Amino acid sequence: MKTPVKKLVTAIGASIAVMGAGHAAAEIQIGIAGPMTGPVAQYGDMQFAGARMAIEQINANGGVMGEELVAVEYDDVCDPKQAVTVANNMVNDGVRFVIGHLCSSSTQPASDIYEDEGILMITPASTSPEITERGYELVFRTIGLDSMQGPVAANHLASLNPERVAVIHDKQQYGEGIATAVRDTLTDKGIEVAMFEGITAGDKDFSSLVTKLKQADVDYVYYGGYHPELGLILRQAGQAGLDATFMGPEGVGNKDINTIAGDAAEGLLVTLPPSFDKKEENQELVKAFTDKGEDPSGPFVLTSYTAVQLVAEGIEAADSKDPFEVADALRAGTFQTPIGTVEYDKAGDMESFEFVVYEWHSDGSKTPVN
Amino acid sequence: MQDLLYFSQQLINGLTIGSTYALIAIGYTMVYGIIGMINFAHGEIYMIGAYTALIAITGLATLGVAWLPVILIVALVCAMIVSSAMGWAVERVAYRPVRGRHRLIPLISAIGMSIFLQNYVHLAQGSRNIGFPSLIEGSFRFGSSEGFQMSLSYIQITIFVTTLICMTGLALFISRSRTGRACRAVSQDLGMANLLGIDTNRIISATFVIGAALAAVAGLLLGMYYGSVDPLFGFIAGLKAFTAAVLGGIGSIPGAMLGGLILGVGESMTSGYLSGEYKDVISFSLLILILLFKPTGLLGKPEVEKI
Repeated sequence: MKTPVKKLVTAIGASIAVMGAGHAAAEIQIGIAGPMTGPVAQYGDMQFAGARMAIEQINANGGVMGEELVAVEYDDVCDPKQAVTVANNMVNDGVRFVIGHLCSSSTQPASDIYEDEGILMITPASTSPEITERGYELVFRTIGLDSMQGPVAANHLASLNPERVAVIHDKQQYGEGIATAVRDTLTDKGIEVAMFEGITAGDKDFSSLVTKLKQADVDYVYYGGYHPELGLILRQAGQAGLDATFMGPEGVGNKDINTIAGDAAEGLLVTLPPSFDKKEENQELVKAFTDKGEDPSGPFVLTSYTAVQLVAEGIEAADSKDPFEVADALRAGTFQTPIGTVEYDKAGDMESFEFVVYEWHSDGSKTPVN
Repeated sequence: MQDLLYFSQQLINGLTIGSTYALIAIGYTMVYGIIGMINFAHGEIYMIGAYTALIAITGLATLGVAWLPVILIVALVCAMIVSSAMGWAVERVAYRPVRGRHRLIPLISAIGMSIFLQNYVHLAQGSRNIGFPSLIEGSFRFGSSEGFQMSLSYIQITIFVTTLICMTGLALFISRSRTGRACRAVSQDLGMANLLGIDTNRIISATFVIGAALAAVAGLLLGMYYGSVDPLFGFIAGLKAFTAAVLGGIGSIPGAMLGGLILGVGESMTSGYLSGEYKDVISFSLLILILLFKPTGLLGKPEVEKI
């Protein structure tokens, strides 16, 4: 009596396994890794919205090589330790294509694992140059580099004829990297950088720093980092009567800075990728986002959309789901995407990517400066 | 002249932040003084105080109440009630059942409580920074020299004054009132106090409630001062306040005040004259130095071995 039952169970088990396998064969997993929670979750929202939309649209058009894309989402909280855990989970889950991560300090440790395990990664947001400097084969991005963004910011500052500029950063890979690029460009142009100093991310009290800025009598302050700290600095500077214009990278450019800084956010200068959602040819896509009640104007929505599109087109072009062949196809091809024409160099960086200076307003809107 | 102004400005900054460290440090030091455990969930109580005040302020705003004193008092009372209840509940749920066991057990229980409360607020309120209205705007500007002007904002003054009132009130309470006397007795010898008819459970609960209420005051003040709150708000402040308590001598209430002020001024002077990057390095080196030469902290009583 016992044996037939056992056999039956085995048979059911086997058929489930076969069904599972058959199911898996008809779909391609796309891992999306970014912060769903934590202090910079706003950017994660942009990334997930963009990637989900791309997956949805690609599936609606018949998928890739007749197979459906399936999003597998992971939360790395923009914490390097968590990012490594997420990367290992991707390996265990058999994901071969990753859209992420968002913060450079998360992307870098995760990319080591992806490269070792043969997983293709496209980051839609990490701008630290080091990520693509290590000669990895499977690492790409759909955004520019700090070494491009820093000079744009510095050149703009230089054009304003500042007397003294202070450069502040949050000691993290992204913030310090871009702040260093800004400082170097300013010094090359013969502009005095009166202060170059780090703060601690997560700190709340910047009154000492603001007092120091006041004493140094700077007229412009560049901040490399994210909005929670800059928001507080702006607010405390406003209260202490510091008369200086602040500037920051795309990490400070989101509406949450207004809830923290209030009116003090008015006039803040931000370098951002150009507003892809304003481009003529993207209007249909923008409508798809607004119909779903999502905001396509964030800096990482369409870069993330593009990352998914590139994975799909790369697979088609290589006619293979092998990440190495897809990587070769991405380097070889030219792709028309919502963020413009994408061509990759050997390192996995886009041949050209533009940053634009915006002026931020206290209602959360922004206007291009030049 | 400008140097002097700069120094005074940094001193003001340091004293402001130091007073709030002191307010939070009271909670650590009182609990340690009485039952000899470190209440690691105290920073979270402070954070919950700030959130409650924010909810109360937002609620009043939707009701159309615009008179500042009413808003402040209602927010303060709400924050103190919720935080006190939380402080009481934490003691009841997480510490009383393990009291008197090996000292590691309550410590682990406290860390667990801290993680639980932090994540609870994460879930309930979201993980983002929420703007906190700065109800007390404006500042005094004076002593202008070479373009540098000192400023002392009304909120900074409010923070000093409130801290001073709370500290004096607490000192009077401990030294004069019946419950205060019982607190001192329990802290000297819990078993003996119990034998002499003091309801030690009630006194221990009272300690948690007082510490939590003061943390709520700090939560409201600092929320207004910084203008934003997030669920991790309490963790860093708690760590600093704990350092202040140890620096001043854990278990001593004037010690917490002194430790808070030294830590605050030390931090602001370091970032003012050296670099903000060294702020934490200097404050924690200071802690190690003081503990090397005075292991019980500045005002701590030397531990007497009980036989």
